[in-house]
Order: sequence, then C-alpha cells, then structure tokens
Amino acid sequence: MIGGLLLKLAFLACLLSILSYAQSYRTGRSVYLTLGRVFYHGTVAAIILVAALLLYLILTHQFQFTYVWSYSSRDLPLPLLISTFYAGQEGSFMLWALFTSFIGIALLRYTQRHGSEQTVMAVFGTITLMLLLMLIVKSPFTYVWETWSGEVASGFVPAEGRGLNPLLQNYWMVIHPQVLFSGFAAMGVPYAFAVSALIRREYQSWIRPATPWLVFGVLVLGLGIMLGGYWAYETLGWGGYWGWDPVENSSLVPWIVAAATIHTTLIQRKSGSFVRTNLALSILCFLAVLYSTFLTRSGVLGDTSVHSFVDPGMWVYWLLVGTILVFGGGAALLLLRRWKDVPVAPTKHASSSREFALFLGAAALIATAILVTLGTSAPLITDVFYSAKSAVDISYYARTTLPLGIAIGVLAGLGQLLWWNRTTGAEVLASLRVPVLLAVLMTGLLIPFGLTEPLFILFVLGAVFALLSNAIVGYRIFKGNPKYMGGAVAHVGIAVMFLGFVASSEFDATETVSLPEGEPVAALGYTMTYTGYRQLEGERYAFNVAVEKGGRFRTVAPVMYFSAYNNGLIRNPDIVNLVSRDLYVAALALEEGGEGTQQDVERSSFRQGERRTLQGLAVQFLGFEIPVMQPVSASGGERTRIGVRLLVQAPGREPAVVIPYSTAERDETVDEPAHYQDGVAFSIAGVTLPDNENGSPVVEIVARQQKEGAGKGRDTLVVEATLKPLINLVWAGVIILLVGLGTTVVRRSREAHTSQSGIG
Amino acid sequence: MKPKVIAASVVVVVFIVFGAYSFLDSNLEYTNIEGAMKKGKKVQLVGTWNRDKDATFDPRTSTFTFYLIDDQGRECKVVLDGAAPNNFELASSVVAKGRFTTDGTFEASELLTKCPSKYEAEAAEVAKTG
Repeated sequence: MIGGLLLKLAFLACLLSILSYAQSYRTGRSVYLTLGRVFYHGTVAAIILVAALLLYLILTHQFQFTYVWSYSSRDLPLPLLISTFYAGQEGSFMLWALFTSFIGIALLRYTQRHGSEQTVMAVFGTITLMLLLMLIVKSPFTYVWETWSGEVASGFVPAEGRGLNPLLQNYWMVIHPQVLFSGFAAMGVPYAFAVSALIRREYQSWIRPATPWLVFGVLVLGLGIMLGGYWAYETLGWGGYWGWDPVENSSLVPWIVAAATIHTTLIQRKSGSFVRTNLALSILCFLAVLYSTFLTRSGVLGDTSVHSFVDPGMWVYWLLVGTILVFGGGAALLLLRRWKDVPVAPTKHASSSREFALFLGAAALIATAILVTLGTSAPLITDVFYSAKSAVDISYYARTTLPLGIAIGVLAGLGQLLWWNRTTGAEVLASLRVPVLLAVLMTGLLIPFGLTEPLFILFVLGAVFALLSNAIVGYRIFKGNPKYMGGAVAHVGIAVMFLGFVASSEFDATETVSLPEGEPVAALGYTMTYTGYRQLEGERYAFNVAVEKGGRFRTVAPVMYFSAYNNGLIRNPDIVNLVSRDLYVAALALEEGGEGTQQDVERSSFRQGERRTLQGLAVQFLGFEIPVMQPVSASGGERTRIGVRLLVQAPGREPAVVIPYSTAERDETVDEPAHYQDGVAFSIAGVTLPDNENGSPVVEIVARQQKEGAGKGRDTLVVEATLKPLINLVWAGVIILLVGLGTTVVRRSREAHTSQSGIG
Repeated sequence: MKPKVIAASVVVVVFIVFGAYSFLDSNLEYTNIEGAMKKGKKVQLVGTWNRDKDATFDPRTSTFTFYLIDDQGRECKVVLDGAAPNNFELASSVVAKGRFTTDGTFEASELLTKCPSKYEAEAAEVAKTG
C-alpha cells in the first residue's frame, strides 16, 4: 500500500522535475532550475525509501506480498536473502531505478559544474520516469490476494515463501546483478548528453563532459559481464565462460556499442568531425540497453533459450515496446530535424591517419554488435518470416565474429602506431616493422603446436600484433606520462583476452568419461578415479574424483542434485586451476550399480591388533601407514595422507597385507580403496583419535564386495572433463582491460574538470 | 573520394551478404522426422520419447540411446553424445539437436527436455505454503 503510494509520488516528483527543468531551459528563470533540482532530489529520496521498504519486507518475511513470497524463504542466509531483492523482474527494475537515481544525483552535481544541467537532467529524468512507470505497472508491492484474486482469500499470509532458485544461490548472485545494473544505469548518461546537445544545438561541447561517463559505463558493464561469465563458468556449469546465450548477448551488445562510441568521440575531440556519428552512437548505447531489456524481459524469446523467460504479461510487453519507440523514435526524430544543422567538419582524414583507423575500428565493433543482435533476435525474425520461432546455432556467433575479430586486432595495433592526421607512408612502415615482424615470428612458432586453421592464424596474428604495438607504445607513454596510458593498456588487455579466447575454446579437449567407483580411468592425460559421494547440506551431493598426473594428486568434487524447485537436475562443476590450464569436471549422471550393492557393503571398527570378519574374510588391523613424504597441497593448506595396514585372509588362501589410504585436506577427504586379490575393496571410513594418551585410535573400515565383470554392482559416475588451455589469459586480459579503462576514466574526468568553461 | 566510396560500398555489401548467409545457414529449424531427413543438415527434432522401448546409457561409448516419436507418429532411434539429462524421465517432450546419419539414426549433440515449468506460480501453491 505505502510502497505503491511512494512509487506514484516518485513518479509525480520526477515528472515535475522534468517539467521544471524544461521550463527553466525555455525561460531561463532560476526559480524553475531550483524546482527541477528539488523535485529530482525528492524523486531520488522516494526511490530510496521504496527500495528500503522492499528490503524491509524481504528481511521480515512478509510473504503476503507476491514478490517476497515468490523469491525468498525463511531458510536463506542473510546475503542471499538480501539478493532476493533483485531475483525477479520487479526487483531488478527496482535495482535499476535505484542505481539510475544515484547516478542521476551525481550527474546533477556534475552538470551543475559543467553546464547543460537543465537539458541533460530533463532527459535523464525521463529515463528515471520510464523505470518508475515500469515499477508502477508491475509493482513488487502486490499482495498475493491481488495477484490471484478470487483464488486466495484476502488477508491471507503464507507462512513460508517459495524460495530462491537454487541456480541463483551463490555469492555471484550477491554481486553480479548490482554491477550489471550499475552499468545499465550509466549507459543512460551518454544518451542524455547527446539528446541535450541536439536540443541546445551545441554539437561540440558535450563530448568532453560526456566522455568520462561513457568510459565509466564501459568499465562497469564490462566488469558486470565478466562476473557473469565467471559465474557461468565456475558455478552454473554451462561448460564455458561464454555461451552466446541471449542473456549474455544482450549485455554484450550495449558494451560493444559504447566501446565503439569511445573511439569515434575521440576523433571528434581531436578534429571536430564525426559529430552526427557520435550523436547517433551515444543514443544507440542506451537503445541497446532498452532492446536487450525487451528481449530478455518481454518473453519473446520463449522456448528458444536454455533460460526460462517468464512471460510478464501484455502490459509489460507493450510498455517495453513503447519505451523503445519513445526513446528511440524521439531521439531519431530530433536527430533528423537537426541533421542539416550539424556542422560538417571540412577536414578529410587520410587513410594513414589515426582518425581513419579509429573509424574503421569503431565500424568493426558496430558490425559485430549488429551480427550479435541479429543472432539473438533470431526467434523474432524467424517468427515474422516463417511464422515459427527458431534460434541460430551457437556456431553462428563464432563464425561471424571471427573475421571481425581479426580486423579489430589489426586495427587495435595499427591505431596506436599512427599519428593524428599526419602520418607519412615511410613513418608508418618504420613503426610497423618491429611489431609486425615479431608478430609474424611468434604466430609462426605456434603453428607447429596445432594452430593450423587459416582464420585462427590470422586472428592470433592480429591479436599478437595488437599486443606488441600497444605494449611498445604503452611503454613509451609510461616513460612520459603514465596517466595517459589507459588506451594502450586497455588494448593490451583486449589482445591478451583474444589470445585466451583462441587457446581456451579452440584448443580445448573434452571427453565424456565413465568412472566405475574405485577404478582408475585415463582421460586427457590424467588418471581419474571416482571415490564415492558425500552428502552436502540439504539433498545435495558432491562426487569425489581423485585426479592424478605425474604423481600429483588433486581432488575435484563436482556437485549434482535434483532440485524440486526447478524440477530438474542442477550441476555445479569443479575446476582444477593451474597456471597454464584449467581442468574442468562436471558430473553428468550417476549410473546406479546392480541390485544388491547395498547388501555387499559391510563395515566394522577396529583397534590396533583386533580381528574381525568382513565379507567372509579374516581381517586384522596391523597399524597405520604414514608416508614420510606428505603430498603437497595445491592450495597450500593442511593435507594429510594416511594408510591403514590390514592383514586379510580368505579361508584356505594366502594372507595378504592390504593398505587403503585416505587423504584429508581441510574439510575434504579422498579415499583410495585397496583390493584383496581383485575382490573385496577396503576403504577407510573414519579414524577416531583417543580422548587420552593411553587410549588407542579406532579405525572404521568399509569392505565392499566386488563382482566379476565391468561395473557390475558398482556405481558409475559419468563426468564431462574438459581441458581448457591458457584460460587464465581471458581473465588476465579482462582485468588489464578494466585497469586501462579505469586509467582513462580518471584522465578524462580531470580533463573535463579543467576545461569546464572551455570549448570541445 | 570516388574509390573510397566504392570500397566502402563493397565492404558494406559483402558484410550484408555474409551476415545474411551465416544467419540463414545457422538457423536451426524445429521439425519432425520427415523434415529432418529431408533437410539433411543440423536441425532441432521435436517429439516425445517412447517409454515402451529401452532408453539406455552405454558407459563404454558414453552415448545415450532412446526412441523418439514425432507429431506424425513416426519413430526413430536417437543416439545422444553424452548422458541423458536427469529430468529426462519427467520430460513431457524432448528436443534433440543434431542430424540424421545414413543408417537412419539421429545423432544428437544436445538434448533439451521440456518439463512442466515451475517458474510461474499457481494460486494453489500459495495456499500450500499457508
């Protein structure tokens, strides 16, 4: 009730703020300017109150609200409980609105100093207004009896909520959406600056103040995309960091468009050209965000994705369509009306100038964005032309973006070597010599290692060239003024990332391996042994697989469980992180052993020297076997390996000493069972140390009867094992890129600050 | 100026043709057995699995084999590279991505199952939590 009222108040205040700012621009009267500011602050205050209210309702488990009931439950730990705030559509719009209002306040202060406040804030206010409208239409404050009117009695309070989707229940959920929505919110700023420039007919001066925001948006959205990719790779088990899924693509496209815009605005700063392009691209940054919101929120993708897209109803669908029409159509009309008015710079850029390279780079980026958008929109397009929805195969994205990736690599290298406006042929050749020769040499060296596909050779060549030329130029800038090296660093990051893409996705090796319990199986150069499962909290199971190579043991424990929530199986892979590669293991299925497996397990506790009968065998516990050399733990943690010496004898047969081992590392234990004459397998189930010095330790031994024939009576774990070489280059590249962008944000905001009254 | 315009036009035309061709070529049609056989290339085969016949996983080849019945009532053998998704048993319908081999077996690289979704809540569920 109060939430809905606050939302409507915020909407009203926002509308008044826009009108006041507009009036202030038209009349120049300062009273309207003050009103605009006051109303915008009022809007933000109301949004913060609404968000705080929603959070309060979630924290106090007010399940009479449909939103709270739908996504949270009493058993969630606090960080996850807080994260249910944005687990659904209503809440994520709320989060977006909240970050938009924070950015709005910062933007208000900023434009107050740098000018254009009335128009920029009026336009940015419409974005805030749009989000508020969305929240009023699909309010998180609807009661369950309103959602299901007639079916649920009025005033009914459910005792427990439906809970959070287990797929979302991990720490990435706590951080990834916030970063992503901050990025989305930041993308509204270049739009506001561009439309403001069109209204004012001031086509040059907006670039300087808008640039830091643009680069900031690229930085934050990039970080958000990377966190999402890492989430998908590390926890969700999509098999990789990037699956070209509509959800991923729709955050990538605005990022690429904004990255292209950084390049074209750079040309305008230097030479005053590309004015219309910059206006159009800055508008497009935000439109790409809106279009991606439409794709992922309206339900149009339906069944064509692995994601389940909830159909939010006709209201939201048409509101999303309307949003694109209003923001896109409005800006386009304004741009067309001003088209002739925009000054066209008389300078023409030579083909060997940095301006031209920047333009080509931006063009390649936009082309990439178009192709990705085309693929993601396939269900819409096929629906129109074939009246049946179908998606493109994932291979579409790799084959279309690869040639453009080559161009981007080459241009990212070339652009740095060319001078503004005036590079002669001889100069170009001189500066190209070292990086080109080195790049050819280094790429050539990779060919014997399996780099044979021509397009990939070119891609690697482009990336290595970009890496080298940016490293050379970056070093030169570093010696001069390190503050200016952002661009070079960012391009080094891109190049490293490109190399990581090729290595980890083109030279990866995947095998589906069946692991009968206790039986070592060779795969991908490793020996893998499934050593049994253990139950985690709830009905979740971790499957221990001992991985050995060259005498070094590691344990992976991929998780697999049936989720009643999703009515399906949830798999969390486990990864062995090495410097040069990742070994990625995901459990696919557990094939239960034959009948009688349970009856074939016997267990017993021993003190030293005691005798028992297990599986019809005489078993005596002789003592512990503690290796002198304890294995070194991968993580540097405590790790102990102990064995138990057992004397085993079958009636009328030779006795034999059998030594099962158990390796403990932190809270994980890996068993290595030992067999008596290829029959019964013994493993250590537990060791209990004595309470006092005089007591003796007790070991618990499990004896499993093996049957003749492969896999009979044993469980078989089917895993998908993937070796991803040099995947760390991807993460390293992204981090370098983000550092470069951060350096640029600092540099450009200082510049904007020092030239606040100056020209573009 | 002139050669620049020509070069730019050529690049744009090549880009459009390349994009359109890739798009049409990669488009995975949803189809039945007859359509998939006629097509010959990778498609998405829609149907239900025949519960009267064996659906088995072979640990040696790491393949999962089952029999699919399409909307026309035709049946074919589907061999999936990998293990079955574990909600296979519950699936009301399945979508196999892959192609037919010469011996009439559908070789699938991916198997999607459609289960009665739980994402959209029902009023009855709310009552249950009361």
